[in-house]
Amino acid sequence: HNEITRREALTRVAIVLGGAISAPTLAGALDVVTRGSWTVPEGWAPRTLSPSQLEQVAVLAEHIIPATDTPGARAAQVQVFVDTLLTDHYPVPERDRFLAGLADVDARTRARYGKTFLECTPDQQRALLTVMDEEAYPAEPRGAPPPEGWFFHRLKEVTVVGYYTSQIGATQELHVSPFGAYRGDIPYSTVGRAWA
Amino acid sequence: MNSYDYDAIVVGSGITGGWAAKELTEKGLRTLVIERGRDVVHRKDYITEHKPTWEFPLRNARLSPGTKGTEDFPIQARTFQFQEACKQFFVNDRKHPYIEAQPFTWIQGDQVGGKSLIWGRQVYRWSDLDFEANLRDGHGVDWPIRYADIAPWYSYVERFIGVSGEKLGLPQLPDGEFQRPMELNAGEKFVKAGVERAFPGRHVTIGRVAILTENLNGRLACHYCGPCERGCSTGSYFSSQSSTLPAARATGRLTIQPNSLVHSVLYDANTNRVTGVRVVDTLTKVARDYTARVVFLCASTLATTRVLLNSKSARFPTGLANSSGVLGRYLMDHHFIVGAFGQIEGLLDHYYEGNRPNGIYIPRFRNLGDDASRRDYVRGFGYQGGAGRQGWGRGAGGRGFGAELKRSLRDPGTWSMGMTGFGECLPRVDNYAELADETDGFGIPLLRIHCTWGDNELAMRKDMAASAAEMLEAAGCKNVGTYDGYRPDGGLGAEPGLAIHEMGTARMGRDPKTSVLNGFNQAHDVPNLFVTDGACMASTSCVNPSITYMALTARACDHAVDRLKLGNI
Repeated sequence: HNEITRREALTRVAIVLGGAISAPTLAGALDVVTRGSWTVPEGWAPRTLSPSQLEQVAVLAEHIIPATDTPGARAAQVQVFVDTLLTDHYPVPERDRFLAGLADVDARTRARYGKTFLECTPDQQRALLTVMDEEAYPAEPRGAPPPEGWFFHRLKEVTVVGYYTSQIGATQELHVSPFGAYRGDIPYSTVGRAWA
Repeated sequence: MNSYDYDAIVVGSGITGGWAAKELTEKGLRTLVIERGRDVVHRKDYITEHKPTWEFPLRNARLSPGTKGTEDFPIQARTFQFQEACKQFFVNDRKHPYIEAQPFTWIQGDQVGGKSLIWGRQVYRWSDLDFEANLRDGHGVDWPIRYADIAPWYSYVERFIGVSGEKLGLPQLPDGEFQRPMELNAGEKFVKAGVERAFPGRHVTIGRVAILTENLNGRLACHYCGPCERGCSTGSYFSSQSSTLPAARATGRLTIQPNSLVHSVLYDANTNRVTGVRVVDTLTKVARDYTARVVFLCASTLATTRVLLNSKSARFPTGLANSSGVLGRYLMDHHFIVGAFGQIEGLLDHYYEGNRPNGIYIPRFRNLGDDASRRDYVRGFGYQGGAGRQGWGRGAGGRGFGAELKRSLRDPGTWSMGMTGFGECLPRVDNYAELADETDGFGIPLLRIHCTWGDNELAMRKDMAASAAEMLEAAGCKNVGTYDGYRPDGGLGAEPGLAIHEMGTARMGRDPKTSVLNGFNQAHDVPNLFVTDGACMASTSCVNPSITYMALTARACDHAVDRLKLGNI
């Protein structure tokens, strides 16, 4: 067997300890009775991102989790979640690194297409994402993403978290495990979706 | 005849303080419970219970050190349990600081109910393998009690708190009074079958937890919402709020005083008795004395010892009841964050429903006095863990985006199984807490904590990782990997304190020259002073300690009230 990386271990320990000392850490429990609907309050404005950066995040996130037979990242307000993370959670250097990543996206489309990311066609945008995805997740070696892949790795992370913990992601795309009983071993076919 | 404000004072309202309050009031004593933190009212103050994830601005993020919003919680943020949804039940580190001579993570509650609101709820009886350990290998002092002394008190406690679990008939992990066990999932059943086939004598069982699977005394069976640490309105897990404090309140003899930090215990040298406590109101900073015939310290291991160290007199210049000089010494914690993970192939038509707040347990199998005894370390460890199918989180772990990624995350991923060891820690004199010159905002000296893992713990950890991997591989898991969070350079990762099982510093023992407390948790030096939280522990076993504290507390209360009636304390 191999020694797994510390980063991997910490992520996994958090999950394993869910059983032992605490409860699931990724998605909290959702009560079908008290479930409220949350929408962006009227008059909401980003506190860290500029309006065009907010739009840039929304477009990037929608490419990662697009609308299909269920709504996608934009409808789930992933861009609002990202602005909240950057404002209220990230240490300043990490926030700045993320913002630099957004600027770099524009620099790359300027170099390649002579326009900003938002001015590009959807196909041009997807082409850039494909390149960034390959940089962030090299075939070998496995482990921590290379520095040039940091931004896209992080962008995908916050998009996935933001989407699947949203009301749309948790209840329309996936299902919320109901309360009342625990059934430890049931046929997956009777559920048919991953629990949020 | 003196007149006292109360018959008994209990310092702290967590797991042991709640038990002392229940036992003493039910036995007829007018009891004052003094709590440092704010009041938390059952149900009303569980402000995040059942709240959907999307209603949390950070989606119930794990608030790790250095992130915004953790400025007042630099220590508490070190534990995985410190999350957006339950941060209100952790202490503000700026308000109650301490000094680390080496990394020691002191996780604290600061409210009525203490850490009973956020505890892990795993409950395992000790056995004579544990109570005889110090005597057998010479580390620490011999316990003044054996399993037979505490067994009836375990039963008494289990029947009241409600414990679900499976009986195994193992001498090293005695069975208790169990409600029906929670179910294993398919991945756990797979690993259980493989481990028990490959290693006769080892067992994989569901965790024994203080969570109801059947209704009990007005508390309801668990509804499997998942995150217990937000508080539970149905009282399905044991907390002071759900269980002991209501029982104490029902006697009409309970007074709880929150926002009151104990400065010291009052001592009368003429009678050699404690007479009460001095308290600082944390809101007004006004000091006030309360008197009683007997004092129980249940403030949590290190907080209790801090009170004793700060209770100085001509008779006890280095701290109350410290004629032995060992007060503050022999600090311990379980060492963990070491184990292994593996993938399970197949079982893709198996899933589960509901959020089971519990995992699996593998009881100790090392150094049981048989052929399996190790030469490289003494004592042993158990594992906690669980299996599950990967969720949507795997979406950020690999290449791919767009509709295809979204479609693939609609189904759960492969099964994986993880386990982490909880290892016994030897009592060592050079692991200790002392009073520093610096004081807190209430004028009380801070604790300075010195604590490191020793050679025995570090040798044991190697086996904890290797044995976990060995079992997963024997069970048929793939891609098995080990991990160990310990940083030899003194960094954070698996530092002492992190298991939140801190024990010792006012240990029980047979000899007043080498221990602070006798076999009834009564101070050798001062007969009406009792310590029943983790400070009393003379060794750690490898199992989670809380139920042993509860049983010792109930037993000590019984003893104290007997002695009060006889008039000899």
